[in-house]
Amino acid sequence: MELNPEGGTELEICFDLMDKSKNTKPPQAFLRFFRWYCHPKLRNSIEGDLTELYHERILESGKKKADLRFAIDVLLLFRRGIIKPTEGYHSLNTYAMFKSYFKIGWRNLIKQKMFSAIKIGGFSLGIAACILIGLFIWDELSYDKYYPDANRIYRVLGVYNDNGQLQKGVHFQPPFAKAMLEDYAEIEKVGRYNNVELFGAANAEIRRADQDENLYEESITYFDQDLLDIFKLPFVYGNPSLALSKANSLVMTRSKAEKYFPHENPLGKMLIINDDKEHPYSVGGVIEDFPATSHLRFDFLLTLTGKEFWQGEQTSWCCSNYPTYVMLKPGVDYKELERKMTKGVLEKYIIPMMLKEGRTDAYEMVKKAHLELQPVNEIHLYSDGVQDGLAHGDIKFVWLFASVAGFILIIACINFINLSTAKSANRAREVGLRKVVGSLRSNLVNQFLAESLLYSVLSFVIGLMLASLLLPYFNILASKSLVLPLGYWWFVPGIFGASLIVGFFAGIYPSFYLSSFRPIQVLKGNLSLGSKSSSLRSALVVFQFTISIILIVGTFIIYRQMGYIINRKLGFEKDHVIYLEGTHMLGDKKIKTFKEELLKLSMVKSVSIGDYLPVQGTKRNGNQFFVEGKSKVEKPTSGQFWRVDHDYIKTMGMKMASGRDFDVKMASDSDAVVINQEMARKLGLKEAVGARIENYRGWNVIGVVEDFNFESLKQNIGPMAMVLGISPTIISIKLSAANTQHAIASITGLWKEFAPNQPVRFSFLDQSYARMYDDVQRMGKIFTSFALFAIIVACLGLFALSAFMVEQRAREIGIRIVLGASLKNIVRLLTQNFLKLVIISFLLAAPTAWYVMSIWLQDFVYRADVTWDIFALAGVLSMMIALGTVSYQAIRAALASPVTSLRSE
Amino acid sequence: MKKYQLGEFEEVVMLTVGVLYDNAYGVSIKKEIEERLSRNVSVGALQTALRRLEDKGYLKSRDGEATEERAGRPKKYFQITALGKRAMEYTKTTREELWNSIPKVALNLKFASI
Repeated sequence: MELNPEGGTELEICFDLMDKSKNTKPPQAFLRFFRWYCHPKLRNSIEGDLTELYHERILESGKKKADLRFAIDVLLLFRRGIIKPTEGYHSLNTYAMFKSYFKIGWRNLIKQKMFSAIKIGGFSLGIAACILIGLFIWDELSYDKYYPDANRIYRVLGVYNDNGQLQKGVHFQPPFAKAMLEDYAEIEKVGRYNNVELFGAANAEIRRADQDENLYEESITYFDQDLLDIFKLPFVYGNPSLALSKANSLVMTRSKAEKYFPHENPLGKMLIINDDKEHPYSVGGVIEDFPATSHLRFDFLLTLTGKEFWQGEQTSWCCSNYPTYVMLKPGVDYKELERKMTKGVLEKYIIPMMLKEGRTDAYEMVKKAHLELQPVNEIHLYSDGVQDGLAHGDIKFVWLFASVAGFILIIACINFINLSTAKSANRAREVGLRKVVGSLRSNLVNQFLAESLLYSVLSFVIGLMLASLLLPYFNILASKSLVLPLGYWWFVPGIFGASLIVGFFAGIYPSFYLSSFRPIQVLKGNLSLGSKSSSLRSALVVFQFTISIILIVGTFIIYRQMGYIINRKLGFEKDHVIYLEGTHMLGDKKIKTFKEELLKLSMVKSVSIGDYLPVQGTKRNGNQFFVEGKSKVEKPTSGQFWRVDHDYIKTMGMKMASGRDFDVKMASDSDAVVINQEMARKLGLKEAVGARIENYRGWNVIGVVEDFNFESLKQNIGPMAMVLGISPTIISIKLSAANTQHAIASITGLWKEFAPNQPVRFSFLDQSYARMYDDVQRMGKIFTSFALFAIIVACLGLFALSAFMVEQRAREIGIRIVLGASLKNIVRLLTQNFLKLVIISFLLAAPTAWYVMSIWLQDFVYRADVTWDIFALAGVLSMMIALGTVSYQAIRAALASPVTSLRSE
Repeated sequence: MKKYQLGEFEEVVMLTVGVLYDNAYGVSIKKEIEERLSRNVSVGALQTALRRLEDKGYLKSRDGEATEERAGRPKKYFQITALGKRAMEYTKTTREELWNSIPKVALNLKFASI
């Protein structure tokens, strides 16, 4: 038919239209939208319906209307029943599939008991360690969070820059607090405490006013009412805002109130402190015990209201004894205030004070000083180098622990990965068959991930149980009182979530590896599995052993340092010396008779009355020394100024470098001083004996004692001077070597005669010395445990790996045996590869360990040398452990009859 | 408890499928209802109803031929199942019973009031 473009018959037009309508397409956007949301089963037929309707409508009412109607239809079809389910339309199926994954996983677990036990055992050990360390870190981080206004409370730090060496102090002058409150509007409250022993704080003998027996208490401090207001400590009895506002009042903790006033309200009751019957204290309030996560922990707070330790003390700017806290008004920028305060306080108070004392270098010295405000919740972890006499944590330790935990977890995960891939031979056929039957790779990945989750959850359950078993031991190690936070709602879901995450990460490599097998190769049976990924597995073994060796070396070095500390020549003799504390109760006269009576005992060599002992925890002070006459021109030498008696140097076994000891016969010795070598050096005295030095008065130097360590070995020996005088709280007794028990019995007997009301407290000097290094010892123990952990987990992995390797090479070994290989040949064949890995690990670990541990040792001024034999020992040890682990399997393989492995050929 | 659940629109669809007998697919059902009952039926409402009826087991479907107007998409033909037939009968009888139970007077009165 000839078509006329100008127009044709009606029929022709009609056909034309029909053609057009068939070629025009419905709006594509809506069509695509429809295809996207529609259930795949319905998609075709409904799309057909829509298209058919669309074409009819074009004929009926034109394209525009048809488009519109089409769009409306598509939108109206967007409803339940037509839309496909979100997880894909297999959703009914996946539940069953997951069930099957777990079932297969469980069967595998049961089938290979040894492997599963090692997998789960290693994993749960690692998890237990991580949980414990996690608890520790959590506890460290939760310090000082409990004050209602914690974010506004700051501790004032005085920082002095001594040629690049920062000295940070917390002690300030008594009027400092008031001055700050008056001068700075940003400050809402200022409060102080004072636990300096000199003032009768820190420790004391306490009793109820209506009783005779004294009890010894160790955590006593003077405290401002304002400091109570700042911390808002929770009260059990009494009015928090008035508890310390009256003179001679005190606040005690609940547990101490129970001790002194069981089952009664102690408000208003009287306590006598240090036998001072003239000034009894009345109980103004009872607070809850300070929580373990508080940087301040006291049992008795004595009021500072109306207290003056000497005439004019509270207004004098001479002496710094008060740690001072401020509470800022809301919204104050504390850094800004810090700058303002530094300038203001120094100019207004410190410089005039120093000028008044006649110091010409006041301006010079002030330039090196500034004030800092330390947020209260940073005190526990960020007080490195702050001299505040409190026990601190250290953010470095938190990091150290966190990284150890991380490493242990990684080692455990590596084990898991290693064992999973090593065992792949057994799963290869399963994978092949699954693929042939139609499983997608993603299904297989899911399957192996599900299996790994199963292992992980099991390990977490066991790990949690292990952790709760080990917690008491760990608490001793870390000297904490941690508990598993089972009571918190987030704990169980948190652990479960963690187990899923860890399981996922541990399982992700094995599942991709296992699911990558080609079905044809696997089912043909000629895929040499295991060897394919052996380089990766070797790398993982190297990693594990590197960590283990680092920890072993660390342990050795810590113990060597501890040995060095214990055995170092200190300049005094700490053995066979016991000392009695609290002897000032006898009074000055009786104490001398007591000393004479002690000397009559046969095993007592010498006795000395003096509070200043060369171990921490006994009395210390600070004085500024000059060569006489130079106090206005020279920089002062700060040093200790100890009051001792004639027998002190003898009892402590110190040696004179030059000059002589104090002599009873020389009456002029009351003006004499014995200094240590460091003091002579600092003062620039070449010929010290015969020279005169001064602090607040002048002294004749009669002798120089050899330097002895009276502070921790972490510090240099400082300058010190000794003069005759009475400091009666401590009596030290040097015993002859034999029979200490007997000596103690007679000494206690004698004490009872002198002071029937007061129990005797005695310590051994060497033990007190060792206690100074508790932290080192604890660190050693912690490292030992972690090294043990790491090596066990690594060995578990190695054991299983070697078992796998023996299994893989069973036929080869069989053939070798048949051909005449000896036991030695076989064992060497099987072990040498692993030994190579350990050697590589050692080469990696040694420098790392050396570097890390020398950083740690830098804390000590006096430290043991790190010598090569430590590394050699650690290397040999790890080699032996690895060899022992591997050779068990190797020897078993070598002794097995070749018939069993070759039978099937 | 009701033995068979059949909504009003569902019943109409069932009946129409019955009427169309061998030619009951989306578009024809829609047209038939629109013609006979002179009411608009959206594709969405119809398809949902068909799906529901199929799920209940009252209808079954088979794929038919693909034609040019449908851009090569097959038609989906519906057919009443035995269960569907019973459901329809059940609905019908219950209705009739109800009709029969109405006293003549009530109806008369109502007519009278108009």
